[in-house]
Amino acid sequence: MLISCNKLKSYIKNSDNIDWLNIWKTFTIRTAEVEDVREVGNTFDGVVVAEIKECEEHPDSDHMHILKVDIGEDDLIQVVCGAPNVRVGLKTAYVKVGGHIDGMEISARPLRGVMSNGMCCSGRELSISDNHEGILELPDEWNNGEDIKKLLPIEDIIVEIDNKSLTNRPDLWGHFGIAREICAITNHELISLQVLDIENNKEDLDIVIKNSELCYRYCGLKIDNITNNKTPLDMQIFLYYVGMRSISLLVDLTNYLMLELGQPMHAFDSRVVKNIEVGLANEGDIYTTLDGVERHLSNDILMIKNGNEYFGIAGIMGGITSEILPDTTGVFLESATFNAGVIRRGAVKLGLRTEASARYEKSLDPNMTDLAIKRLAYLLKKENPEMKIASNLTDIYPKKLEEGHIVLDKRTLNVYMGREMEDEVVAGILEALGFKVQVKDDAYNVVVPTFRATKDIKIKEDLIEEIARIYGLERLEPKALKLDLISNELEDVFNQEIDAKELLAKRFDMHEVHSYIWYDSALLKRIGIEKDNVRLLGKDANNILRDNLSLSLLNIVEENFKSYSNFKIFEIGTIIKNNQNVRVLSIINAGEEKNLENMYNEIKGVVKYLFKVLKNKNVKYTDNVNEDSYFDKNLGKIINVDNKRLGEINVISKSVTSKLAKKKMIVCADILFDSYVEIEKEEKLAKEVSKYPTVSLDYTISLNDIKYQDLKDILEEFRSNLIKEYRLMGVYENKYTIRYILGSDTKTLEQKDIETFKNRFMEHLDKHNLGILV
Amino acid sequence: MEEKILKIKEELISKLSSVDKEALVLNLKGEYVGKKSEIQDLLVSLKDMSVEDKRKYGSLINNTKKELEELINKKLEEIENNINISFDDTLDYEINNGSLHPVTIVAKEVTDILKRMGFTIVSGPEMESEYYNFEALNIPKDHPARDMQDTYYLDNGMLLRTQTSDNQIHAMEKYGAPLRICAPGRTFRNEDVDASHENTFFQLEGMVIDKDISIENLMYVMKCVLREVFHKEVEVRLRPGFFPFTEPSYELDCSCLICGGKGCPTCKNSGWIELIPGGMVHPNVLRAGGIDPEVYNGFAFGIGLTRLAMMKYKISDIRVLNSGDIRYLKNFDMK
Repeated sequence: MLISCNKLKSYIKNSDNIDWLNIWKTFTIRTAEVEDVREVGNTFDGVVVAEIKECEEHPDSDHMHILKVDIGEDDLIQVVCGAPNVRVGLKTAYVKVGGHIDGMEISARPLRGVMSNGMCCSGRELSISDNHEGILELPDEWNNGEDIKKLLPIEDIIVEIDNKSLTNRPDLWGHFGIAREICAITNHELISLQVLDIENNKEDLDIVIKNSELCYRYCGLKIDNITNNKTPLDMQIFLYYVGMRSISLLVDLTNYLMLELGQPMHAFDSRVVKNIEVGLANEGDIYTTLDGVERHLSNDILMIKNGNEYFGIAGIMGGITSEILPDTTGVFLESATFNAGVIRRGAVKLGLRTEASARYEKSLDPNMTDLAIKRLAYLLKKENPEMKIASNLTDIYPKKLEEGHIVLDKRTLNVYMGREMEDEVVAGILEALGFKVQVKDDAYNVVVPTFRATKDIKIKEDLIEEIARIYGLERLEPKALKLDLISNELEDVFNQEIDAKELLAKRFDMHEVHSYIWYDSALLKRIGIEKDNVRLLGKDANNILRDNLSLSLLNIVEENFKSYSNFKIFEIGTIIKNNQNVRVLSIINAGEEKNLENMYNEIKGVVKYLFKVLKNKNVKYTDNVNEDSYFDKNLGKIINVDNKRLGEINVISKSVTSKLAKKKMIVCADILFDSYVEIEKEEKLAKEVSKYPTVSLDYTISLNDIKYQDLKDILEEFRSNLIKEYRLMGVYENKYTIRYILGSDTKTLEQKDIETFKNRFMEHLDKHNLGILV
Repeated sequence: MEEKILKIKEELISKLSSVDKEALVLNLKGEYVGKKSEIQDLLVSLKDMSVEDKRKYGSLINNTKKELEELINKKLEEIENNINISFDDTLDYEINNGSLHPVTIVAKEVTDILKRMGFTIVSGPEMESEYYNFEALNIPKDHPARDMQDTYYLDNGMLLRTQTSDNQIHAMEKYGAPLRICAPGRTFRNEDVDASHENTFFQLEGMVIDKDISIENLMYVMKCVLREVFHKEVEVRLRPGFFPFTEPSYELDCSCLICGGKGCPTCKNSGWIELIPGGMVHPNVLRAGGIDPEVYNGFAFGIGLTRLAMMKYKISDIRVLNSGDIRYLKNFDMK
């Protein structure tokens, strides 16, 4: 929102004592964020009032004129001008020779052979309006030769305040509210607005509110005999500076009141007004707004109706039929308050956010509507002394909003502030902001003005906020907490996530990735996977939540295959399974098809290592018959820990992988991380190391119909108290080399002990039809 | 004679110094102390010498031979202990390193300092109910934040949480007062993705509930967090803000780290960067968590971890964070 400092000054007593360029840094930390402060009107000088005394056509041009203007000097000055509105008697803005416009010096020079001394200018040339249809037309009573900067509020400071930071301050959506805030910050006095008193000795207008929970108040007033519909120049400049187009006096005044008080208003041509009714639209109706666009209405949009016809969309935009026309002399003024929610939802639904709706969304004070009408009437009368009030100020106000009452206890205030606050300081701040304060021994009884009571100030904490910000947040200092040193609860999910992530990244050079919680629809379609799970509402793509983390990482895998032929990534993320959040660790090993065996074994090794190092647990893999076609059905493994299923290892099926990259394979592990976290780390006790030497024996066994897992089962069956450990040393074709480490805790093994072991082992293998290769 | 002997010795010393192979030393050994060596000849010739000469040269020749043998053995030992460098010892050898996501690194740094201040780290659900995401946090039904436009609603009646503040309620219900928690996590906003907007990003919620907590305590904790993340003192300021779940509400700005507060495009010439929203917990939120606001009060804050990571590592395009692009992510080491 743009704010004019000139306008603010007009509401503040002794406003010259305020440093208007620098006050905004303070405003930012007291009230709301200021985004920009810029000086305007300083781009020209040497511009004075000039009266056209003579006007002749330029002999060598079809549109230029040769003027003789009076700027209060002894001689008239000759100027050539191309504007269409030149005429004898017109007072306009004239740049003297040696004056500047936009930094350019104006000189005397011939225009098509005729000497032109200086220049007459339009509003746009002076950057005080966007009017370039002709040169400025100044009031007749202004003195020739006077600097127009002395006559018009041209030099100004324009401030842009971040709208978002005003969300909760309906009172700050107009200049008057900002001025009140500046007064509180700088300890100045606010000047009340001048209004026109309206005697209610005429007839009431016919106004009905159908839904009083949606329209809190509706004020109407008819004014006739408006003959001057020309906006004064100072108001035009103000509107231009704060980003509004000047249209006509009546329209401009409604905008002006919105910018001044924050109260949106509407002026209807009173010739068409019959009776006003505020009520909801009919579902499916079509209505054309002022901007000429057809709007599709629904039965939750609030409308202004006139004689059973739609007249405007309440609080959002008027209609084309009620527009102020050039020949309008009678006006029906509307000043109303609507429910914030209905306006906001309507504006969103229609895709039509206007200056008015932006203000109504903030919950405006209903007690402002009559003030706004009286103020508008006052300003209108200044330009139309002959105007006639043609009706009572009709006020439909079913449930008056009263001031709020809050008791603020001093103890709470002092705790929040971290210091003892003095009564005068507290009362001074609140009163400057428009509150009434009664100081008691241990509390303040505070009356909240209605312009703060609509939603902003409801509880004592709201008052603390007011006191703290005006007191000065910069006066507060960071202070350490003085709390009991209690031992807090331990939740270990995050710590365990970090441990697992660091292990994978540091020990196995894997890269952590982050992805989305939904499947990439295009990718699923391309690789021929159909998924059904919880869906996002109102989205046609990327709308199915993932139920398998590794699968949802395939687009990341595909992208990385463009740069790397093999890589390892992981993520800990949420999947949605059976309507529940499930935290999963996915580890993916992607690489060339020919390396499948290594990749597969590495993943198995990594998972095993993870559980061994971080949980002291052994992993057991069992075959998994996978129903999902996107996983290879022969290579699925279940990860078992303590006989509990903790996840699975899968190879993405070749038919899917081939669509992502050529001759590649993707191996993935999905570990149920919530279950992983629950596993308590097994504490291992110290173990004595045998004093006696160990002996190692290698056996190479050839397997024909069985796999290593089967061999392992057979080896597990073989028991001997000499076995310290055994492990697979290597595989060559179908030959598996197993190393046994034998030893005793009580003696050095003798040859006969070893022979006995060998014989028993051979017998065991024989029994299972296995032979040793010598 | 003495000269001759001395010359033999010097000759050997000089020759030994120029050889470094065992075989060459063994050759020298044959040449200087072997059966056909000069010194051996001298030893043999002793028997023909006069008694006087024998006495004069006998021990000299013998001692010299021993000396020569020692020199050779010393050289042999030296060669044996020498590592035979048969490779290029200037080659580069790189060990591949993995990487943690920048958001993870920042989350760890923030939680580390909070842990030191006694905060428990909690983790809430990403698919959340309207109650925990909105209602309990004092966000009324017709609040703009609850619009379809901003929130991902799901067809099972749940939604994807729009903030980590749901953890406030979960934690209060679970642990009661007093309480000190922080909750890093993924959050979601229905937003079009571009270089500076994401629909999926990380936040960290912090909350303290105790007796007599002040606004100044909130400032302290937020300042500590920033110091830890940026490894230097940062200037902070509070500005009034508005959030339904805190009252009073504040925006914490820190002095711009790019320009040091002088003003630059990043901070829009203000010298300040808006970083951490927070405030004193709204009494309605305490009530929703089953805590009596007349006894306890507290503060809460939300740190945009994604934003913090972008500032810390000067990441200009937010989209890389969820891209999984290893070329980019591998640069993040693991401090």
